[in-house]
Amino acid sequence: MDPINPWLDPLEVRHLAEQLLRPVPPARLAAADPGFAESFVGFTSPSEVAPGPIPTGAHQALRVSEPISAETTPSAPSPSRFLDRIEIFRDWLAKNFKATDIFILNSEGKVIFDESGRERLHLLARNFATASCRRGDVRVKIGPGAVLELIPCDSHQGRIVLGTLVSEALPPSHVLAITEVLIQTALPA
Amino acid sequence: MINIAISSQKGGVGKTTLSINLAHAFARAGLRTLLVDADPQGSVGLSLTRQSRLLSGFYDFLADPGIPMERLIVPTRLTTFSLVAAGQASDYDAGKGSSGSNLARVRAFIRNAAACRYDICLIDTAAGLFGVTNDIISSADAIIIPQQAEPLGVRSLPKLLEGLNRLRIINPRLTVLGVCLTMIQRDLAESAEAASALRLLLPEEMLFRTAIPREDVYIRASAKGLPVGALEEGKGAESLFDSLRAEVQARLARSLSTSTFHAH
Repeated sequence: MDPINPWLDPLEVRHLAEQLLRPVPPARLAAADPGFAESFVGFTSPSEVAPGPIPTGAHQALRVSEPISAETTPSAPSPSRFLDRIEIFRDWLAKNFKATDIFILNSEGKVIFDESGRERLHLLARNFATASCRRGDVRVKIGPGAVLELIPCDSHQGRIVLGTLVSEALPPSHVLAITEVLIQTALPA
Repeated sequence: MINIAISSQKGGVGKTTLSINLAHAFARAGLRTLLVDADPQGSVGLSLTRQSRLLSGFYDFLADPGIPMERLIVPTRLTTFSLVAAGQASDYDAGKGSSGSNLARVRAFIRNAAACRYDICLIDTAAGLFGVTNDIISSADAIIIPQQAEPLGVRSLPKLLEGLNRLRIINPRLTVLGVCLTMIQRDLAESAEAASALRLLLPEEMLFRTAIPREDVYIRASAKGLPVGALEEGKGAESLFDSLRAEVQARLARSLSTSTFHAH
């Protein structure tokens, strides 16, 4: 009795093996996960990112709408629970930057907050941000009008990584503003 | 530093024997070589060091990345050859935790090893593509797949290839150096048939020309806590691993465009 062929499909094995010998084409990333469209292009390097016009008074607007600032919300005491503060931060982020699928990883790469429910995004975040020596934000275009923005931040709780989907890569000034607010959010009450 | 995972879908395929003796071959060739036991069974440590049950190791680092490499690295009589045992972390378990949960720490371990100026790091993983093994492969430059020449081993091949294709989405720079046939018993028809079938099934460039036979000398070497080449009767086996090392070096030089392996 043939010990091999009745148990496997030789053509399939050959195909899988040949695939392993070829470089991974970026398009396979799209094919492998419905969350990634064909326009997946991997890293968007900072030089390719058009910073875009910073709206007049953007910093001011950010500060005014900053929910965790005691000055702007004098009647609402800062929530003492970290998760409560993160949820306020989430609302602020969504409102000001049209950010969706927000999640946060801790220094070990574990998910400490998530509204995306998309493990694939967490995995990318771990690969690109947590496990990287690179400083600063990382952005990955994952589809038309969908950029995964990863913002590492050295907070009171160690290095955390904010991940969120936005329609376009955020300009540096917005990243800076988000980082500042995230640091404040992570401070103990 | 080049780091190579040595992984298989199925256990008991001679993965640890291949890891130890290939690492020894690299070290004898003058490359500073680190062999890491990432198999919770601790077979590398149990094979090569009498103190393996006392040593801190790879899984201790995953539990506490603050442990300095100096506390993990075990030197050997060959100055170019060092080991890291599996360790004592009591709760380690290859199946524990989903893939990705230890990725950052595995990469931190590799960075720390590279900082110790090794040329090559071979990581003997647990069998199966899950948990920490996936995190290691997702962090590796390359992978070598020992494949036992017996029917059950061949039948596990599609699952392994599928798994590796998935992992290459996470780690697109992973180079599949090849499949090495192991535990070949030429006097056993089923083993010889399985070896022939594998040679027909797989592209020629995926199989190493060097194949490892099943021989008593490996058991004797393991019993004495030595690589096979350290035994008087192991010289033939040693030259086999020299051939495999040369094949691996040639493939690394081709695929990774590194000068490290031309220099020695």
